[in-house]
Amino acid sequence: MTIRHALWGLAPLLELLVAPSPATAHPHVWATVRSDILLDTNHQITGIRHAWTFDEFYTAMAIEGLDTNKDGIYSKEELQPLAKVNVESLKDFDYFTFVYSEDEGDKMLPLKPPIDYWIDYDKSVLTLHFTLPLEKPVDTHGKPVQVDVYDPSFFVAFSFATEKPVTLAGADTKGCAAEIILPDPNTTADYKALTESFFSQLGPNSNFGSQFAQTATIKCKDSHL
Amino acid sequence: MRIAAGLARVVLFAGLSLLFVATAARAEFKPISPFAATEVAPGPPSAFAPPTAAPFQAPGPFGRVFAWVFDKQQSLQRTLAMSVKSLKTDPLGGALTLALLSFIYGVLHAVGPGHGKTIISSYVIANEETVRRGVIISFIAAGLQALSAVLLVGVLLIALGATGLQVNAWSNQLESISYAMIALVGLYLLAGQLRSVWRRWQHAPVTVVAARDAHGLGDHHHHHTHHDHHHHHSREGHEHHESHGRHDHHHSPGDACDHMVDARQLAGPFSWRKVIPVVFSVGIRPCTGAILVLVFALTQGLFWAGVAATFAMALGTAITVAALATLALGSRELALKLGGTNSTWTNMVWSTCAIGGATIILLFGVLMFTASLGPARPF
Repeated sequence: MTIRHALWGLAPLLELLVAPSPATAHPHVWATVRSDILLDTNHQITGIRHAWTFDEFYTAMAIEGLDTNKDGIYSKEELQPLAKVNVESLKDFDYFTFVYSEDEGDKMLPLKPPIDYWIDYDKSVLTLHFTLPLEKPVDTHGKPVQVDVYDPSFFVAFSFATEKPVTLAGADTKGCAAEIILPDPNTTADYKALTESFFSQLGPNSNFGSQFAQTATIKCKDSHL
Repeated sequence: MRIAAGLARVVLFAGLSLLFVATAARAEFKPISPFAATEVAPGPPSAFAPPTAAPFQAPGPFGRVFAWVFDKQQSLQRTLAMSVKSLKTDPLGGALTLALLSFIYGVLHAVGPGHGKTIISSYVIANEETVRRGVIISFIAAGLQALSAVLLVGVLLIALGATGLQVNAWSNQLESISYAMIALVGLYLLAGQLRSVWRRWQHAPVTVVAARDAHGLGDHHHHHTHHDHHHHHSREGHEHHESHGRHDHHHSPGDACDHMVDARQLAGPFSWRKVIPVVFSVGIRPCTGAILVLVFALTQGLFWAGVAATFAMALGTAITVAALATLALGSRELALKLGGTNSTWTNMVWSTCAIGGATIILLFGVLMFTASLGPARPF
């Protein structure tokens, strides 16, 4: 028996010690994101209109028992209580929507509680629609505005849709463009998320999901001022 | 050897059970389902196509691996959903696919948090459990988790006509209770270990003499006392043996392996009183993956297929957890062997495992419990 044997022997124990760490956080719910960016006449972003389409398993779970009139159809009215619960509890999770502007010193811009929310159900999947107004409209000239949609704890895996992930909407969208930026596997990781302590990974403050965060970047060229 | 034999048995059992589950799932859909009413009425094909999502990506080599794993997990879950649906048209093929997929899902899913791998592994190394018992404990815990999920969905959705949201809420409650119980189990184990360490430290020489005088053979002594306070006595018992070794009364030099054999023997018969709190605290928490499959199967009017899938999944979970528990035990054994005849080393390994294992259970329980009290998740 040598030290090397000892290390091999102890490896599984060490593995167990770190077992509940990032490598084991994994998604249970999948959501495909399509968002409308609402612009006003001055090319300022006033809010984000989300449409999140969930997977079949989550959908089955969420709508079960909500066909109150038993006609086999899940109507918008029947699903409204679900939409209400969803958007109300989203508040504690920052709506999984993180808006940044370099102009604002890269700090997270505050959002107001969702308005105009409802749920669509189509055969097997549901889509949650809601509008998130920004507390203060943010300017898109000069520095781009970033919108990240992700669940830090990675219980829900958010991905932008491959088609029309972000649409510019509102009073004036001329000269504005949006693009989706996926995390690049070829760059070095921000190991902050990975090396966070064992304990914080367990809690609601886990940040494992951030490394999968997909970003929508919005920029307007011309000024209307 | 024992480990290999144990694993072989696990694999054999797994194979047989899989076959059973597949048959059960197949036998299940001919009879008239009482839940057929919940089936979504067939309609014309929808114009609405769910959007496809951009692939997972994350920076760095680890990110690449994670992204790949989650991508596979997603496709596995999608295939699982498809196989449930295909039961209606292709019973046999659908059932086999469902059982197999659920099993794989269970094996992989158990790597995630909440399936008791940390608790059970820590428990077996903190106690003088054998591989066989580690495997049994893992299987019972996984079985209970499956049962908990089936009961939760069965009672709430079928019997009480509750909503999916309520199932979710209950599942979260059970999760909190489970973590609180785990913390208590950890506290109980730790208190026991520390008390015995304290006692040993204070009265060690006296106890050794007394034990030797009373019985001559330490082994004998343990068999008697083991039922009530397994840890303390066996741990003290071990200490007696160490002392014997040191004084060289009975053991010939180089007899170190005997210490481990002794420790195993000292573990004595399977004590439900000790194991039940552990498996119950882990098993009361229904597996989230199982709930999702059950509810999905229910909405398809195939609840019993969901039940079969849940147990196939539990089988997979049990195998992963049992394998990890076995690894943990193997590590302890190796660590013990490394010391050779050095009784101080042997002692140190046992104490580290006992106190460390109990501490992990306690900390894990407390942390997970606190985390589970956070705000309710929207999805």
